Amino acid sequence: MKIVIVGNGVAGVTCAMTARQRDPHAEITIVGGETDYFFSRTALMYSYMDRMSRRDLEPYERKAYAEQRIALLRDWVIDHHAEAKTVHLSSGATLSYDKLVLALGATPNRFGWDGINDVKDGLVHFVSMQDLDACERLTPTTREAIVVGGGLIGIELVESLLYHGVKVTFLIREPYYWPLALGREEGDIVTEQLRAHGVDVRYMEEMKRIEVDSVGRVSGVLTNKGETIPCQMLGICVGVRPSIDRLKAFTDPPQLGRGVVVDETLQTSFPDVFACGDCAEIQPIEGRSYTEMIWYSAKRQGRHVAANLFGDQLRYAPPIFFNSSKFFEVEYTTVGEVMALPEGTPTLFRKHPTKPLCQRILHNGDRVLGFNMLGSRWNHEILERWIRERRSPAWVVAHLADAQFDVEFGRANLAACIQRELPLAKEL
Amino acid sequence: MIRRTAAGLFLHDLKNRGLSAWTLSLLLIGFYGILYFGQYYWTPDSPCTDNASCYSEGAVCEAGACIRESRIERGQDWLYRTATVHIDELGWKIGASMDAATRPDGTLVRDENKNGVIDNWEHFGNRWTVYGMLYTLGILLGGAWVCFKYRHNRYQIVRTGVVMMVQTSFAFSLPILLKFFHKPEYYFSYMWPLKIDYLDPKNFAYYGEGLVLWGFFASLAVVPVMTLLYGKRWYCSWVCGCGGLANTFGEPWRHLSNKSSNAWRFERVAIYTVMGVAFLSTALWFASAVLPDSSSLHAAAAGTRKWYGLVVTASLSGAVGTGLYPIGGTRVWCRNFCPMAAFLGIIQKLGRFRIRVKKEMCISCGLCSKYCEMGIDVRSYAQAGLSFTRAACVGCGMCAEVCPRGVLRLENGAKVDPQELSLVSFLDESWKGASSSVAAKI
Ligand SMILES: Cc1cc2nc3c(=O)[nH]c(=O)nc-3n(C[C@H](O)[C@H](O)[C@H](O)COP(=O)(O)OP(=O)(O)OC[C@H]3O[C@@H](n4cnc5c(N)ncnc54)[C@H](O)[C@@H]3O)c2cc1C
Ligand code: SF4
Ligand code: SF4
Repeated sequence: MKIVIVGNGVAGVTCAMTARQRDPHAEITIVGGETDYFFSRTALMYSYMDRMSRRDLEPYERKAYAEQRIALLRDWVIDHHAEAKTVHLSSGATLSYDKLVLALGATPNRFGWDGINDVKDGLVHFVSMQDLDACERLTPTTREAIVVGGGLIGIELVESLLYHGVKVTFLIREPYYWPLALGREEGDIVTEQLRAHGVDVRYMEEMKRIEVDSVGRVSGVLTNKGETIPCQMLGICVGVRPSIDRLKAFTDPPQLGRGVVVDETLQTSFPDVFACGDCAEIQPIEGRSYTEMIWYSAKRQGRHVAANLFGDQLRYAPPIFFNSSKFFEVEYTTVGEVMALPEGTPTLFRKHPTKPLCQRILHNGDRVLGFNMLGSRWNHEILERWIRERRSPAWVVAHLADAQFDVEFGRANLAACIQRELPLAKEL
Repeated sequence: MIRRTAAGLFLHDLKNRGLSAWTLSLLLIGFYGILYFGQYYWTPDSPCTDNASCYSEGAVCEAGACIRESRIERGQDWLYRTATVHIDELGWKIGASMDAATRPDGTLVRDENKNGVIDNWEHFGNRWTVYGMLYTLGILLGGAWVCFKYRHNRYQIVRTGVVMMVQTSFAFSLPILLKFFHKPEYYFSYMWPLKIDYLDPKNFAYYGEGLVLWGFFASLAVVPVMTLLYGKRWYCSWVCGCGGLANTFGEPWRHLSNKSSNAWRFERVAIYTVMGVAFLSTALWFASAVLPDSSSLHAAAAGTRKWYGLVVTASLSGAVGTGLYPIGGTRVWCRNFCPMAAFLGIIQKLGRFRIRVKKEMCISCGLCSKYCEMGIDVRSYAQAGLSFTRAACVGCGMCAEVCPRGVLRLENGAKVDPQELSLVSFLDESWKGASSSVAAKI
């Protein structure tokens, strides 16, 4: 069987490795246009901050691909013929397939701000290896930077720029940091972190116009408050969308929506073509379609597709949601529905009087629904189990210490946290 | 990307095998060369008489007075004089001034070697005193820095504090005090097979039965029991001076360890070879002590003592182990050559220690692998969601410290998660885990 995988990100590579496990004889090829080898996109900032070399970002030793007989091609797929079962590469080559997997990842969003068409240099995103190249090229000539967009990628870019001694202004449209996932209280803790590190964070402030200098390099940004802030680098981190632009030009594109539309078996509108990872828009038989643009889901979907390539017809159902992150020194773990719950959902909010340490436990009176934990380490497997076991909030509070995952001798002092009732508020 | 300031460029150079790193490495190796081998530049005029401590630091004659005097008299060899003799002199002066402080008349007395009895501080002063002081200073200054750098991590603070305490007490002050009270110089923080001469029958008379019994008890009872309970970390990163220096002074270079599967292959061949040699040498020494007089056995025993001291103790643990910090990372010795680490590692595999991996939370960023001083590719386990116990892991806790997603935790669990496979086979295991978990979910 000939398996062709488009995209050498985590979804594509996990799919290839799982397929090899399943079938020692399949012919597996991965085509990726961005880099020669799979790298960890999540660790871009650590390379920018000199904590890792680029090579260190590669999760597998290079020889692992040869050992697993997975062929790697550095090229872009620019066309697809469904009838002939072929894909065409920008180098002119044609690959035929028995099964095709689209693991195309995501592309940063850009909106039609005034002046964006005059920009020739100084505008960066922080998603691809080429973005990192651009950031590194621009940093030495940058004293001041503006980062637009208060999400996870934005704050990572802010932290990296600070490392290089750049003065950063952080423009965030929302009233506090990341209301999509954090409550106001957690957001305020992150704001404190940002300010303590010297970031000029501005909430409810949006970019109106981009100013450029005589050679077209970004020189400043006019905000909706009427102020022009100077900068030599402008980081745009206002979310990502599935990378389907190339597909639109295909002779036979699969059905496209926000992303590549797939059914619950992750199969596209063509029977032998599958999609997984950031680019997949999953359309369940009933209910709304969704995309899951995080690392864990890309990996899970990659494995899932590998099973279905061999005809397993497994239906994809994501487990209870979990995610984690780190804002400067403050670690964050979330499990279950949190900000997706309706406004006014009962919440136990526990906060340490002085430290950036808090726990938010959402419930419906008799069982817990979700957790937002900031400032210490938590075992999400246990929190997830408690949600599944429908534990009562009182029981969970009494057993909270069982789910702590801090280092030995370093258990966060939960007893010092002050607990109060705080119905979920949304300011989005 | 390197920080473009003078300090940033220098630190990058120093920490990433730049010119300054190579220079420092050469200096360190040179220092060890002089320390260990300076005296071999000439053969002694008269055979050394103080055999008791001859091998206590490897094949290095500590008394050395006879050699030293003749060198000075003949005014030979500038290298020897400027380095070895002067380091010795400095050590002697430190010893002598402490001696003077304890004498009512305040006079400096030197070389009062009466009938082999060591008179107070006389034996104290030599290059090993200077070395010990520098070593302790390295651990204390480096340790203070590490405690500051990881001040948010109690495990690192407690562990580093203990290492600093053990070094200043058991590995530095106590042996000096012992000598002061006319007792044999004994380092309670070291044991066989690291300090291989503690179980060498040749030295039993010098140490006396109490210490010899302790030596057996420590190596054959304390070590296995502690390691089964807590993993080899109780020794390698809480007690041992080699690990102590690596985790303090060596902090800037911990990430230089080689993570490739080839390096792992080399490690396994090298470390178990040294362990085998150490065990066989000890067996030989016992044989030569208990078997009826056989001159060939004695000669073989003497030969292994000399060569083990030269190759393993002086070259591998000293010059290579520490000298290569800025080039090969901090645990070159511990990872590839230390017989104690090999011994502890095997026991660790059977014990309770493991690194617990939270399932599915790893983002494969690779910081854990990068900052593992033992060159363990922690990420390969973490991204596969497998808790693991690697023989090499010294439990420094740094993988858990640097992980930005809090995936890892050091534990003394009741459950054992053995994991000693090749890269390819643990890739395999991750797939098994992967497909079965997908199947289980649906
Ligand atoms: C800075 C940053 C930090 C992040 N941090 C986290 C985090 O902490 N936790 C988390 O859960 N998620 C995080 N994410 C999101 C996570 O990285 C993505 O969800 C994940 O990488 C998606 O994997 P993927 O394989 O679907 O796509 P990708 O990793 O994007 O891989 C797709 C690859 O396919 C290539 N490709 C696309 N089209 C073609 C074509 N036509 N021909 C050839 N090649 C093609 C692309 O160039 C790309 O290399 C982060 C993302 C970024 C950018
Ligand atoms: S695996 Fe972790 S604890 Fe073990 S030696 Fe490496 S960094 Fe230290
Ligand atoms: S540091 Fe943590 S997240 Fe990064 S690879 Fe290691 S275990 Fe995974």
